[in-house]
Amino acid sequence: MTTSGSAAIRARRRARFKEVVREIASHPSALIGAGLLLLIIVLALLAPLLMPMDRLDVTKVTARGNESPSGGHWLGTDPSGRDVLGLLLWGSRASLLVGFSATAMAMIIGTTLGMAAGHFTGIVRAVVLRIIDFFLVVPSLVLAIVLSAVLSRGLSTIIIAIGVTCWAHTARVVRAQTLTIETRPYIERSRALGAGDRHIIGKHVFPSVLPLVMANTTLVVGQAIILESTLAFLGLGDPTTFSWGSMLKTALDTGAATAGYWWFVLAPGIAIVIVVLCFTLVGRALEAILNPTLRAR
Amino acid sequence: MTEQAPTLAWDDVRITYAGGTVAVDGVSLEIERGGTVGLAGESGCGKSTLAMSVLRLLPRTAHIDGRILLQGEDVAAMTWGRLRAVRWTEAAIVFQGAMHSLNPVRQVRHQVAEALALHSTKEFPDSASRLRRVDELLALVDLTPAKGHAYPHELSGGQRQRVMIAMALACDPELIIADEPTTALDVVVQAQVLDVLNGLVRDRELTLVMISHDLAVLAAVCERIVVMRNGRIVEQGKAQQILTAPVHEHTRELAAAFPVIGDPASRLVVGRLSSEPDPRSLSLSKGDASTGSTGGVGGSTGGVGGSTGEAVLEVRDLTVDFRSRGQHVRAVDHVDLTCGSGEIVALVGQSGSGKTTLARTILGLQKPTSGHVLHEGKPLPHRRAALKAYRRKVQYVLQDPSASLNPKHTVYEAVAEGTRIHRLGDERERVIRALTRAELTPPEKFFAAIPQELSGGQRQRVVIAGALALDPTYLVADEPVASLDASVRGEILGLLLQLRRDLGLGALVITHDLGLAWNIADRVVVMHQGRIVENGPVEQVLLDPQHDYTKSLLEVVPSKLGAR
Repeated sequence: MTTSGSAAIRARRRARFKEVVREIASHPSALIGAGLLLLIIVLALLAPLLMPMDRLDVTKVTARGNESPSGGHWLGTDPSGRDVLGLLLWGSRASLLVGFSATAMAMIIGTTLGMAAGHFTGIVRAVVLRIIDFFLVVPSLVLAIVLSAVLSRGLSTIIIAIGVTCWAHTARVVRAQTLTIETRPYIERSRALGAGDRHIIGKHVFPSVLPLVMANTTLVVGQAIILESTLAFLGLGDPTTFSWGSMLKTALDTGAATAGYWWFVLAPGIAIVIVVLCFTLVGRALEAILNPTLRAR
Repeated sequence: MTEQAPTLAWDDVRITYAGGTVAVDGVSLEIERGGTVGLAGESGCGKSTLAMSVLRLLPRTAHIDGRILLQGEDVAAMTWGRLRAVRWTEAAIVFQGAMHSLNPVRQVRHQVAEALALHSTKEFPDSASRLRRVDELLALVDLTPAKGHAYPHELSGGQRQRVMIAMALACDPELIIADEPTTALDVVVQAQVLDVLNGLVRDRELTLVMISHDLAVLAAVCERIVVMRNGRIVEQGKAQQILTAPVHEHTRELAAAFPVIGDPASRLVVGRLSSEPDPRSLSLSKGDASTGSTGGVGGSTGGVGGSTGEAVLEVRDLTVDFRSRGQHVRAVDHVDLTCGSGEIVALVGQSGSGKTTLARTILGLQKPTSGHVLHEGKPLPHRRAALKAYRRKVQYVLQDPSASLNPKHTVYEAVAEGTRIHRLGDERERVIRALTRAELTPPEKFFAAIPQELSGGQRQRVVIAGALALDPTYLVADEPVASLDASVRGEILGLLLQLRRDLGLGALVITHDLGLAWNIADRVVVMHQGRIVENGPVEQVLLDPQHDYTKSLLEVVPSKLGAR
């Protein structure tokens, strides 16, 4: 490729990127969502600086349990006297980590199997489709509970449990897109040129389903965070790490809600709602941008 | 409304789209009562925009200057209510592509009745009377009332188009605007639709504005033809005069694109190649590597050339069955066919005659039910790895170049795709050579372009270049020019001829257009319902057809319709 040629390609990619950024900017809700998400991610990364771990050590805390919000503890303290804001910050790390890695796993499985189900015919398609159907109808929460009960306890178990249960929907969407792409004449041309399955999937199908996968990713992240909280809330999480779900579980166990310690119940609950909402806002906007039929004319 | 006012008049109309594109640039045209006018021109010349402006059907972004008078009334000044009344009762439109203009989930008679329910509630107050009227309308376009109960997908293309015409006639309009009514149809069906339109114009004294890029089609129906280019009228006059003695250069181009069969001037000569020999072709023919094909370079203007080479492709007793909903459909029925090296063979037939299936089977994209395809004497292998080697040698050019290129890939990637699949070295040189041969020069200029930035003709050249990059010995082209503009059509056909002359590259060209066969082919193979009914040199088959089906195909060629 000539330097001028690749330069032109780079210029076009830059232009396309700018176009997407401009489109996102024209969706105010997406802008708010993306901004908040960025803030939350930065805070989660800075948690060790903002709130050193030993200030959350039960043996070293000075505050009494269940203190209401005050200047010293903005969001009050939990039953064992730990700062709720600190827990929230540290909990966001687990929630986001599980959200992202479980989603990445679900996307890889979903995209691979979805493309396989769309591209191949005969026995391969039948088998893959039945696998997808199986995971589609098994209640994901029940499956995740079983998995996290069977496997050893830990964050990675939660990630696997969520990753394995969240991909089926993505696979269906990817398969539908693959089927559409495969009917295009350029696939036929490629075949006539002698292309094999790997070439067709790698060069034509995968790039076309990628935008769809991206949009889907942001939506699944929210779902994964909720599932993580649910599992932790049910006591299936890793007891050694904080997460928003485990905070809610502690609140339930200690009767925080009925005792009127609202700050300990509302803080993690609202945090979950905000993060999931942000991901949904960004995901919807991305979907609208990448899928021209949804784009307002 | 005065009696003298012409049915339709454009007075210095200028239509601009948002973004400054001028679609129509100062057009003045009058159509008298009962007149039939054909608007000709390439896509993008503004003919559809001009027609749609009559009923204010243009998108909001269009800005109209000048006056459009319908029965003496200014269209722009009409109130919304008046405009609704005028639409369909005074002027109706037959849209292009009847497939997409009919609702797929409703019986067609209800769709025809819709116009009556909206506009003629006085004459046809209840649905029973409306449906009776629908039956009358269907009879007008030669459809039985039973067809009214059909859903669009149960009708053929021509029947659907006739339903669209019936719909346009529903409210007895003065004026009918037909936007490319026959473009998507094959010749036989096209002739039926044109017959219906002709009959209606004669019996009901309709005013007709017909849009097409095919002058012969227009001449078959219209008295007067107006040729447009870049939003301006470049020539107008009596249909026969435009067809036989065009004055403007653009009209001549359009006329030349649809040759008269039997006219020696258009035999093996296409478009600009006839007037000025391309200097590039001379330099190319020397320096470039040969494709390894042996004989048959021929292609001298005039006589039959290059049909003597040895057989590259042979089809022996080939049958292809499809199973759909428990029914066996035999698409290809015991076909025998031989294509010599350097020979251009035209496979002619109506849509549904199995010609595309035959092509796909030859390329190994479709498994034959029985019979063999032989390449250079060896039967086509069934294993994929062996097929890959075969696919280097025989290349496929598809009908619609915009669809057969991945919109995300650059020209370079599209042309290099085959080279990469077959892991051939010197990718860059191959791409440059292929683009040069496909007359996309200088090739470097096109490397980074994506298909969307190219014109239809350039896209088809990219597809052809992609095939040439592998140094094939034979091309299979499925309707290579059916979706291209008239002048571009000539260019692409000229390119095929030139490749044959320079590289000895033969081609199996699938087409429904006998004029194309006359233009470039050495031999014509006529296919009908999966069988080959006639096979022979072009002059023999087209000028002295033996089989009834070939005769009937030749009957309906538009250039003959006009003379009828």
